[in-house]
Amino acid sequence: MTEELVVTLSALETRFPDVVKKDERKGYEGFLVDTKNLVEVATVIRDELGYDYLSSVTGVDYLEEELLEVVYHFYRSTGGKSLVLSVQVPRKKAVVPSLYDLFISADFQEREAWDLYGIKFEGHPDLRRILMWEGFEGFPMRKDYQEAFFVEDQKPFANRWPEGKVFRSEDENQFGKNVQYPKGFDKPKKWDPEEEDLLYAGLQELGKKDSGDLATDHVVVNMGPQHPSTHGVFRMAVVLDGERIVALKPVMGYLHRNHEKIGERNTYLHNIPFTDRLDYLSSMVNNHGYVLAVEKLLGKKGAVPERAEYIRVIMSELTRVSNHLWAIGFLLNDLGAFFTPSLYAIEERELILDIFEATTGARMMNNYFRFGGVARDFPPGVLEKLNSIVFERLPRKVDELDVYLTDNEVVASRTKGVGVLSPEEAIAHGVGGPVLRASGVPYDVRRADPYSIYDRFDFDVAVRYHGDCYDRYIIRIDEIRQSLRILQQALKDIPEGPVLLKNPYNIRVPEGESYGRVEAPKGELGFYIVSDGTANPYRYHVRAPSFVNLTALEKMCVGQLVADAVVVLGSIDIVLGEVDR
Amino acid sequence: MLQDYLNDYWPIAILLLLTTLLGIVAIGLGYLFGPRRSNKRKNAPYESGMSPIGPGTRQLPVKFYIVAVLFILFDIEVVFLLPWAVIFKKFVDEGLGNFVLIEMIIFLGILLVGYVYAWKKGAFEWD
Amino acid sequence: MNETLAFILEWVIKGAVLIAILLTGFAYTTYFERRFLARIQIRVGPNRAGPFGLLQPVADGIKLIFKEEVEPAEAYRFAFLLAPVMTMVPAVVIMAVIPWGDKVVMFGREIALAVTDLNVGVLYLLSIASISVYGIVLAGWSSNNKYAMMGGIRSTAQMISYELALGLSFVPPILLAGSLSMSEIIQGQQSSAWYIVYAPLAAIVCFIALLAEVNRAPFDMVEAEQELVAGYVTEYSGMKFALFFMGEYIKMAAVSAIFATMFLGGFDGPGVDTYAWLGPIYLFLKIFGLLGLMIWIRATLPRLRYDRLMAFGWKVLIPIALLNVFITAALIVGLGI
Repeated sequence: MTEELVVTLSALETRFPDVVKKDERKGYEGFLVDTKNLVEVATVIRDELGYDYLSSVTGVDYLEEELLEVVYHFYRSTGGKSLVLSVQVPRKKAVVPSLYDLFISADFQEREAWDLYGIKFEGHPDLRRILMWEGFEGFPMRKDYQEAFFVEDQKPFANRWPEGKVFRSEDENQFGKNVQYPKGFDKPKKWDPEEEDLLYAGLQELGKKDSGDLATDHVVVNMGPQHPSTHGVFRMAVVLDGERIVALKPVMGYLHRNHEKIGERNTYLHNIPFTDRLDYLSSMVNNHGYVLAVEKLLGKKGAVPERAEYIRVIMSELTRVSNHLWAIGFLLNDLGAFFTPSLYAIEERELILDIFEATTGARMMNNYFRFGGVARDFPPGVLEKLNSIVFERLPRKVDELDVYLTDNEVVASRTKGVGVLSPEEAIAHGVGGPVLRASGVPYDVRRADPYSIYDRFDFDVAVRYHGDCYDRYIIRIDEIRQSLRILQQALKDIPEGPVLLKNPYNIRVPEGESYGRVEAPKGELGFYIVSDGTANPYRYHVRAPSFVNLTALEKMCVGQLVADAVVVLGSIDIVLGEVDR
Repeated sequence: MLQDYLNDYWPIAILLLLTTLLGIVAIGLGYLFGPRRSNKRKNAPYESGMSPIGPGTRQLPVKFYIVAVLFILFDIEVVFLLPWAVIFKKFVDEGLGNFVLIEMIIFLGILLVGYVYAWKKGAFEWD
Repeated sequence: MNETLAFILEWVIKGAVLIAILLTGFAYTTYFERRFLARIQIRVGPNRAGPFGLLQPVADGIKLIFKEEVEPAEAYRFAFLLAPVMTMVPAVVIMAVIPWGDKVVMFGREIALAVTDLNVGVLYLLSIASISVYGIVLAGWSSNNKYAMMGGIRSTAQMISYELALGLSFVPPILLAGSLSMSEIIQGQQSSAWYIVYAPLAAIVCFIALLAEVNRAPFDMVEAEQELVAGYVTEYSGMKFALFFMGEYIKMAAVSAIFATMFLGGFDGPGVDTYAWLGPIYLFLKIFGLLGLMIWIRATLPRLRYDRLMAFGWKVLIPIALLNVFITAALIVGLGI
């Protein structure tokens, strides 16, 4: 236990004797809180101890103990380690008070926990399903839930190679065997999802007109799922007064595949390629976050050689550059520029993907990091190419982008003052990454809670202070510049040596919980892992930055025009693979 | 016989006819050769793949109506400008250039007062 | 009587030729736009159908003819069918007053290279140009679709933002030529200099307003893909969509011709006095250049918001255009141009 946490614990224990207990389970570092006192404790944590940033809320199903647990990860927005609170409730009667009033960032995450675990959050104003489809029966993340293709609880499934022959369970077409229908479910055409009505009812309530105005209507319009500018299948249900947005609700889950359930069926190593598919524009960073979480549990076994650490940093920063180039390009697209800026940005991104391809064999789904290192070293010639890109081409091209876009009248008039998020709101909404820093909060996990070898590099945390779309655009250019600084240092200092000491094909991870977080290009990416000592993670949760950043979408969009909502969404920079998981 | 004065307009009428014909033919071609396999879902109004709530045509607030009213006003003023512009040169040739210029300045000056008034009243800040 | 028949025949032939030219022009403007955009964006563009992809427009046309036309069940059917025609027709008809050259002698007759020469040509331009807005508004309303409806409302907002500046920017050429007739405006430019020299500000205002008139980027908020999916054309498919498309591109050519006529001397160019057939070639080159400029602008600029366009139109364009009327008038009085 760190010194900081000891102080916190003693403070909490003196305030709340018998209420806050040290979590005594092996490998756990948090505190157990009684359900009744959760809100009280959270208030003290926020107001007196300064943990004002609720990063992650998630559920864990302890089937054997008949308990459902809600795990909260708090941070100080000034930096430092996490404070973990857990609340345990009986499985049969899973009701937990909502922290929505204290931390708005709990909004979507509590809805997710309700959706997947059936934990009821009392006091949450809008507790509807968020990822599963409306009218879905059951809570899929519970350990006793069996999906339609259910074979076994844990991979590797024995039936995949009967007598040594490979066989896919999909060939058997088991679909239907395990499907559960909601009560009263008759035929698809009669089915009218209740949740949809709830959504519209809530919207209409929000968008109610003042009486005495002209006799005009407020119109409910769906932007998405099949809409050109929602970056995938994302939906914004908006209420419009003319073209002004009076209420907005994001609807997601169209790409939901229950990544976490799959992750719990998989072995630890299996999961690395799956993390690639989360934020598919920055797979390397996803890998990094996941291996970091597992390596924390592994302890000494997970030690990473020096060269591998450098390669990890290089790959992560290249990913950040390529992601930000993409984000800037497509933000301009959302502004209505006809593909030219995005294609010029993508041209540079392609060069980075070339490096990825040469090193990992894949341009996007890299599957490159391993527990205790990276899969393979740079092949000959790549470092030279990388040097020329990082030292010459990219700095030049970023300056070019800066010149063409930053001073553009139209870009400025469309983005300045649009979708403003104040620093306090940003922290309360739990947004991360460029969105948080554009609001004037200098919070970067690489500095606030350094991981890997980021403490060795000299770089600045990019901050902008207006919190509007323009700042969210320009901060990405700042961040590309900082990433290039890190890359230049890393490329100069990279030592020789092995990149992976021993490739652990089937590792056993010691019991315990761990939360590995990295600064992904889109914000704080966290992996919460609970191990029970077997070959498969007992709990595998992804705190996806795009997902949590969307919490602030409503706040930013209400009062703006339709055209601005698109820009705001573009400036958050979401990837639906990560939002919907 | 075709009247001389209208002579210039007959070609336009013929062109109008031809173009309308072209439009009808184009739509007809689509009807002739295009397949039609319509169903209820396909014929529903498009709203990003969701069933729309309420009709698409409604009383939507048009907040720029004040600007629209101003537009009609000023557009008529522009029409007054055109005849002035046509005969301006003739006056200049006859040495009355300053006279018509000042005349127009007075006319537009009055207009400008209205324009500045509308601007300061915030008529152009409609949303 | 024979004389009348000959006139009618002449007009029909002229009209048919104009339509034929505009249709081919439309098809190859789309091709030109796609290739040019691709070049700007470090891509190749369509190059598969025929040599250099030259048959691409033909392939597109055939595809559109054989497409299924989806007609929304809740649309107002007659208006829904009328709207595309109403958008396309003014775009063609507006070209009637553009002179393509001086008179030439053909079949023993002296034939003017223009469909007609109205003595109120500029008024005609202004009035026909505004009519096509009706087609868009009608399309937006009759589709019974929310995006289309918003597109229609935006198009009215857009119209009232730029039309005034457009009308004002036509005043300096009229002042300089002392006539509303297009051919006399060109004659005026032949005898002095192209009016862009005397009234550069008016030319800039006019070009911006014309860009807005044809709903081209950065003023394409009527069909803003990122916001309204496709705006007023959301519910249109097949040939009906093709008509809108045709209307847009023909109108692009038309406004280029208007701009060329008002400010760039129309068919004027070296040697046009002796060889009248050079006229159409010069005008074509000018239109081509202006189309290129429009495409370049589309490739470069993001879209404006429609309230910003209105503010821009009323607070920037109109004062400049008004000021310019005075400057031009004062120039005429002072310098005796």
